[in-house]
Amino acid sequence: MLNRRQFIQRSAVCSSLFLVGCRRMPQQSPYRIFSPEEAGCLIALCEQIIPADDAPGATEAGVIYYIDATVARYFPDTKDRYHNGIASLQAHCQAAHGQSFEALSPTLRTEVVERMETGSLPPEHWETISPQAFLTMVIRHTMQGFYGPPRHGGNRNYASYRMLKLDFPLVVGQNRYSHG
Amino acid sequence: MDKQQHVQAIVVGAGAGGGVAAKVLATAGMQTVLFERGGWPVYDAHINDELISQRMQVLDSAFGPDWKKHPRVYVGPDGSRTTIHAGDGSYNHVAACVGSGTVSYGAMAWRFMQEDFRLKSIYGEVEGSTLDDWPISYDDLEPYYEQAEWEVGVAGNDSLNPFAPPRRRPHPMPAFEYNRDGRYLADVCQRMGLHPFPIPMLRNSVPYNGRAACIRNRTCCGYACPVDAKNGTQNTVIPVAMATGRCEVRTGCVVAELLTDDAGRVAGVRYFDPEGRAQTQTADVVVVAGSATETARLLLNSRSRLHPNGLGNNHDCVGRNLQGHAYTGASGLFDWDILDLTGPGATMAICDYNHHNPGIVGGGLLANEFYMLPYAFSQSRPWGEARWGKAHKDYQRQNYYRLGRLLGPIQEMPMWDARVTVDPAVKDHWGIPVVALSGSRHPRDFEHCRFLSARAEEILRQAGAVRTWRHTGDTPPASFYGPSGGQHQAGTCRMGNRPETSVTDAWCRVHEVENLFIADGSVLVTNGGFNPVLTIMALAYRTAEYIAKHFR
Ligand SMILES: Cc1cc2nc3c(=O)[nH]c(=O)nc-3n(C[C@H](O)[C@H](O)[C@H](O)COP(=O)(O)OP(=O)(O)OC[C@H]3O[C@@H](n4cnc5c(N)ncnc54)[C@H](O)[C@@H]3O)c2cc1C
Repeated sequence: MLNRRQFIQRSAVCSSLFLVGCRRMPQQSPYRIFSPEEAGCLIALCEQIIPADDAPGATEAGVIYYIDATVARYFPDTKDRYHNGIASLQAHCQAAHGQSFEALSPTLRTEVVERMETGSLPPEHWETISPQAFLTMVIRHTMQGFYGPPRHGGNRNYASYRMLKLDFPLVVGQNRYSHG
Repeated sequence: MDKQQHVQAIVVGAGAGGGVAAKVLATAGMQTVLFERGGWPVYDAHINDELISQRMQVLDSAFGPDWKKHPRVYVGPDGSRTTIHAGDGSYNHVAACVGSGTVSYGAMAWRFMQEDFRLKSIYGEVEGSTLDDWPISYDDLEPYYEQAEWEVGVAGNDSLNPFAPPRRRPHPMPAFEYNRDGRYLADVCQRMGLHPFPIPMLRNSVPYNGRAACIRNRTCCGYACPVDAKNGTQNTVIPVAMATGRCEVRTGCVVAELLTDDAGRVAGVRYFDPEGRAQTQTADVVVVAGSATETARLLLNSRSRLHPNGLGNNHDCVGRNLQGHAYTGASGLFDWDILDLTGPGATMAICDYNHHNPGIVGGGLLANEFYMLPYAFSQSRPWGEARWGKAHKDYQRQNYYRLGRLLGPIQEMPMWDARVTVDPAVKDHWGIPVVALSGSRHPRDFEHCRFLSARAEEILRQAGAVRTWRHTGDTPPASFYGPSGGQHQAGTCRMGNRPETSVTDAWCRVHEVENLFIADGSVLVTNGGFNPVLTIMALAYRTAEYIAKHFR
């Protein structure tokens, strides 16, 4: 058995080892690939893509958890596209408005996303990924997280199925696959 | 390398054609080994997960293949080579498990029409295409269509379809009832002088063969059936083959190469067992049924002194004429709920446009479509609609039950350069060279799609759709480039009477190899204006019966 002190020491050793080669993880994060700051930005962007009204939006449906889990597990190649895209968006918002994306007013956030889509943002902060490519990726994953099945982390409490008046879980019959 | 006990027959691939072939050989008394690279399908492994369903494959392919272990290469129009996995649209795969596509298919059970076997005679040469007649006619295949319908199980009723080819025996099960959009669109078609009828389906409309009747699940196409009421080879012919005691199904086994002897006959196969160990299995006769892409790959990977370019490939025909189906038609938004989600979605079809259309070679059926789940629906918009934001969400909410669609697989013009080769560099998990896909579709295909989609749009307008748009395959983001293939892949080892232009003879025996047969979509000369699976099954019945007669 480890005592508390040993435990902290060992986990410190482990985590510092773990940090080697890791791009950024300044503080503890409930996410697998995003820092809390990155997540804050991405949550605000996803909420622009599917905003809450009388039905939940992307935030309440847990879209961030879908993106975090599936990028980590299925699309590790897109990790850097996320890190870079978020950094570019934040750099633009800081330069143009002196604030991070999530701190902007809702109308300003919508305007920024509109300009990402039309490619009319100043190009200087987007060297590694274009705003259109980044937005297209986030839209695709947000739709998957919001409208796909909850087992991958999004669509919490079947938010989108409720909105579309789909019964859930689907009533099915007896599973009779008994081979092999 | 371990060597297994010699058997009479090997079948490679436990999908549509391979499952049927194994059943015929085993029941005829032949000791048979059926190889399948995937495993037995398990309903619980995928439940109703849209994102891994065999139609969407966003995160994974519920019924295989493994994305990491089975890469392919896509060759772009500029010659660039990209390594791709099965989730990529250009990968062009069906599935990889016992039953393959027949576990998760939409289960439309079409017989090709008499004309479909004689396209060149009826329509003449098409410049730039290898369009040809089949070496057999509809009449040659008719008894085997019947056998497939009765043994695998089809619900249908041709009496309402004046274009249906002649049959001696009715379908074994009554046709399914229309769902709401099917009933409504059928009425509209009838008023327009067209001839709607219920789609024949490889599903149980009544209990059949010891399994339950269909419960009209909305998640059908792309999924396995939760009550096992969808008939694939995995729950019909393959269990029958196993029950004879003469068919061993070897799952998780990847066949790497066909082995030949000094006389140029096929002697057996080299394969990797589930532990990754190389093994050999010898047999008197080998039947390859790995699907049009994988069968071509296996032949091309089987080089020897007498077959330096791959088995059956002395005339450079293997892998060519790869075809599939452009799915074309139209969508229409209604101002009332036209969908009731009574599965599987597709229930009604017309064959008025399959043949004898002015200026068109062949044609295709039109049918109402399989349902889309919410994510697929979020990706389905007329060009120019909002891609995000409140407008996108409102569209989703307002129209989920209001989208009527009429689509169909249209006859394609086969292309010599649309082909499967094996990649010189990229290898799969077992070190076997992988499929490389190259070439493009015939320009006439797009003309044909414009024709059929205009007919579909006309019907939706007559039905009162408030907004319609067409799917012609040549509007953004779809592209002209890339070969056709996909889930309806066919043609890569076409049958014919001349070894210079075909790979197998009229019995689906490889011209150059007396004891090697092909029993999957590869042998189709042309792919019809119909989904191909019943034709693949019927041909496999015919081929295997011939083998049993001559090799038992
Ligand atoms: C979602 C979906 C819907 C469909 N809907 C319809 C429909 O409504 N109507 C219709 O007619 N068709 C439909 N199809 C198409 C139909 O499933 C295919 O046409 C049919 O399965 C093709 O049969 P095949 O014998 O050529 O190949 P397959 O059925 O694909 O069988 C090939 C098998 O061989 C195995 N294999 C390949 N290479 C090797 C190797 N080297 N070693 C070991 N095993 C190997 C594969 O894993 C696979 O299991 C649908 C398909 C899908 C995926």
